[in-house]
Amino acid sequence: MAETHGEVLQGTLDLIVLKTLEALGPLHGYGIAMRIQQVSEDLLKLNQGTLYPALLRLEQRGWISSKWGVSDNNRKAKYYTLTRSGRKQLLAETESWERMAALMTRLLGRAEGA
Amino acid sequence: MEWLQVMVARLTGLFRRRALDAELDRELSVHLEALTEENIRRGMTEQAAHHAARREFGGLEQTKESYRDQRGLPFFETLAQDLRYASRMLLKSPGFTLVTVLTLALGIGANTGLFSLVNSVLLGNLPVRNPEELVVVKYTDSRSQQAQEDFSYPMYQALRDKNTAFRNVLTRSGVDFNASYGGQSERATGEMVSGNYFETLGVRAFLGRLIGPEDDRTPGAHPVAVLSYGYWQRRFGSDAAVVGKDLILNNNPIRVIGITPPGFYGTEMARNPDIRVPMMMATVFRPVPANRLENPRHRWMTILARRKPQVTVGQAQASLDILYHQVLAAELQERESSINAHDKERTLASRIQLEPGNQGFAHLRTEMERPLLLMFCVTGIVLLVACANLANLLLARNAKRKQEISVRLAIGAGRGRLIRQWLTESLLLSVLGGCAGIFVAYWAETALLGFLPADFSANLQAPMDFRVLGFALLASLFTGLLFGLAPAFQLSQAGVSITLRHDSPSIASGERIFCLRSALIFLQVALSLPLLIGAGLFLHSLENLRGVSTGFVKENVFLTTLNPAMNGYPRERIKSLYDDLLALVRAMPDVRAASLTTSSVISGGWDQEGVKVEGYLPGADENMSPNAAIISPGYFATMGIPFVEGRDFTEQDTAARPKVVIINETMAHYFFGNKDPLGKKIGTEDDPKAPPDREIIGVVKDAKYVRLSEAPRRHFYAPMAQELRLLDMTLQVRTSGDPEKIGNLVRAQVHDLDANLPLYATTTLEIQIDDSLTQERLITWLSSLFGLLATLLASLGLSGVVAFSVSRRTREIGIRMALGAQPDDILRHVVGHMAFLVTAGMAVGLAAAYGLSRLLGSMLYEVGSADPRAFAGSCFLLGVVAALAAYWPARRATEVDPVVALRYE
Repeated sequence: MAETHGEVLQGTLDLIVLKTLEALGPLHGYGIAMRIQQVSEDLLKLNQGTLYPALLRLEQRGWISSKWGVSDNNRKAKYYTLTRSGRKQLLAETESWERMAALMTRLLGRAEGA
Repeated sequence: MEWLQVMVARLTGLFRRRALDAELDRELSVHLEALTEENIRRGMTEQAAHHAARREFGGLEQTKESYRDQRGLPFFETLAQDLRYASRMLLKSPGFTLVTVLTLALGIGANTGLFSLVNSVLLGNLPVRNPEELVVVKYTDSRSQQAQEDFSYPMYQALRDKNTAFRNVLTRSGVDFNASYGGQSERATGEMVSGNYFETLGVRAFLGRLIGPEDDRTPGAHPVAVLSYGYWQRRFGSDAAVVGKDLILNNNPIRVIGITPPGFYGTEMARNPDIRVPMMMATVFRPVPANRLENPRHRWMTILARRKPQVTVGQAQASLDILYHQVLAAELQERESSINAHDKERTLASRIQLEPGNQGFAHLRTEMERPLLLMFCVTGIVLLVACANLANLLLARNAKRKQEISVRLAIGAGRGRLIRQWLTESLLLSVLGGCAGIFVAYWAETALLGFLPADFSANLQAPMDFRVLGFALLASLFTGLLFGLAPAFQLSQAGVSITLRHDSPSIASGERIFCLRSALIFLQVALSLPLLIGAGLFLHSLENLRGVSTGFVKENVFLTTLNPAMNGYPRERIKSLYDDLLALVRAMPDVRAASLTTSSVISGGWDQEGVKVEGYLPGADENMSPNAAIISPGYFATMGIPFVEGRDFTEQDTAARPKVVIINETMAHYFFGNKDPLGKKIGTEDDPKAPPDREIIGVVKDAKYVRLSEAPRRHFYAPMAQELRLLDMTLQVRTSGDPEKIGNLVRAQVHDLDANLPLYATTTLEIQIDDSLTQERLITWLSSLFGLLATLLASLGLSGVVAFSVSRRTREIGIRMALGAQPDDILRHVVGHMAFLVTAGMAVGLAAAYGLSRLLGSMLYEVGSADPRAFAGSCFLLGVVAALAAYWPARRATEVDPVVALRYE
């Protein structure tokens, strides 16, 4: 499926979706997919279909909620919104991600330097 | 908490599936449309835009599937799906399903039934408060190997009052009553209990109150009784008014003060005493010896104690042992003059031994433990054979379902998924079998209980509790896995290409199935043969017991027991009553002889009495207590026991005349060797100082006394007329016709003589002997049943495999016949492999049986563990059944028409 590099880890995808919803407010699945592609500048190749099980997973955990609404071009679409506990989760995950990233940078930087 | 939220979300996802699916469809199509529009905007044609959108989106069906998995509970949804499919498959072949479920129901049912018995007999606790705190107090005795449990009342008092480890110490002793109420007399079982009995056990009254410490202070001064719930129901029709009324127990008015709760049976599962009276009433109900409650040498009561929770059994035992020895030392000091050093040493060498009391006194249980566990193992093996059989059936069935499997593999079913589906099917079968098995178990248990003593089986409570049901469920699942696993794996090995090709019975996979099935046949034979041999051994043993030379003539003897002494009659009245009764019975029509005895043969118990023998110096620890019976003249004529020499007692051997005894051959030989015992004297231990005073006037042939399997015992007989006390006596009447007919006459006669005299243990000698073999018969019957069942299952399996092999090789057989093979050659060819398998299985089974039969040892009577009859007979039986089972389908091979066979594939 993902023949190019840049496969998405499950936890990463969750974090990306949460961040997207935080940045742009309520959004439908198509919108989320577009945003991810746009931000990653096609570095991240994502089968857009895999987004939907992820959205359901986040909703089951209570981090996002969904509602049917009407899109800009007058089409009915399901809109996803970040909930309060989702915001908390985003905060926690961002923090741990940054810690991890800092660690990796330090580790790899030193390894290169040696 | 999060997982809970997810769980709830997933559970709700199980419902409204159709609506949710539609919603997902809509959401996805919105997404696709948006993508397509975007692509069109970029200048693609509609067709190309659509394709590009689909590409970007990825697999639509995969998305839906993983979405659905995320939404619901895929494990259970798959399970439900598999179950639906499995039930459809089972319904499609009702014959197969029926056979399988029935086999399982028998296998699991037999196991569950026996487990239920094991559960209630061996694992059940006394129905009292915190039974695990109870301990049985025993002491070791250097002379006998077993721990003893009879204590004297002074010892009990000391242990009760001076110990530090127990919260309470109770004592009890069995006693029987002549109970009269409303002009009706009958025999009732009873128990004398200490005042703290109910308090210690933590049992409350069902009605009225129970015996308490205040009812147990002064010897003979507490005429109160507590009735068991069962007796109250049976005898008084559950009439609450009986509380506060008087019963006549052995001619003493005794006030009923309360009823024990239903389900309470006391401290021994094998007994359920009807009436309980305070221990202090022993002076009334067991008047001889009069100093029963004071004399430390009379040991007649058993002790059960409740530990303090913080004290371990080990600590309790150590502290009680010290106390016990203090008391013993004090007792010995008092008897200093009359006891020799050896006896003193022996007494002091005994030690207190505490045993778990959660099951109370467990005599009968201990006795039943081995047979029960043995039968449990046997049913376990039968279940294994059944499993092997079902695995075989499933393998055969798989061969027929190959087409289906190939198709499923071809369209993408994973092997794991297929195994799972197949296991679900076998588990469904086994659980169905288990459910049916519970009914079989219920029936089996009811049947088995019929073989137990009535008191015992009545005390077995709630035989179908959660433990039993849990066992049935576990057994079912285990069975399902066991017989389902092999076929499932074998199935998953099947290749797509091979099986999809049309020449379906492919050689390669057929060969593997055949090997597996052969191994199963081998296993079945190896398991069945030991069962058959075991049954053969028990059968032979039972036959030996039945044919044993008893030394008496068992036919046409009527038996009944009475105890006028209980009614408190003086000795003279008792004696004249017995004399009158004998005279009246002897005058009845068809009566050839009648007599009285204290011990009736093969009734399970016997008196023993210590003796001293003129001119015989016993060793230090020599057992000087032969069996003894007190009899009326005519005893030997009634029983048909012949005299070796000397004469029988006569009416002239009265109390005023010199004392006389008759001994048996074994006793004569033991004490007198080859010398003539007539005229020699023996004495009893009544008066240790007096010289032997009873002259031997006769020697009779040996007989079996307590049980049929006993070794010859020393035995002596003393005449009633010269006995000081006469307790219960059994009247034995030899008739020339049906002994049961005489029963009514005797009953009427006794009623005429004394209306307050109940008769009990009324039976015939033949029935009494038959009853003594109940356990042996049950074991023989069950082991034969299970042995035959296993053999039947094994032979069915064998039949199936031969049929399978024949159908697999139809073509080969056709070629052989076309080339001129005779039917006999074909038969030999087809059956040869099976004969080898069965022989190999039998060899292994023989070795196993030989090893295992040694364990039966004491359960067999005069049957060696390598009994040739049982071994050869079982091999023969199994061989014949196997040959028939193989021959039947093999014959079909000889009927193959070469022309048809060659075209067959």
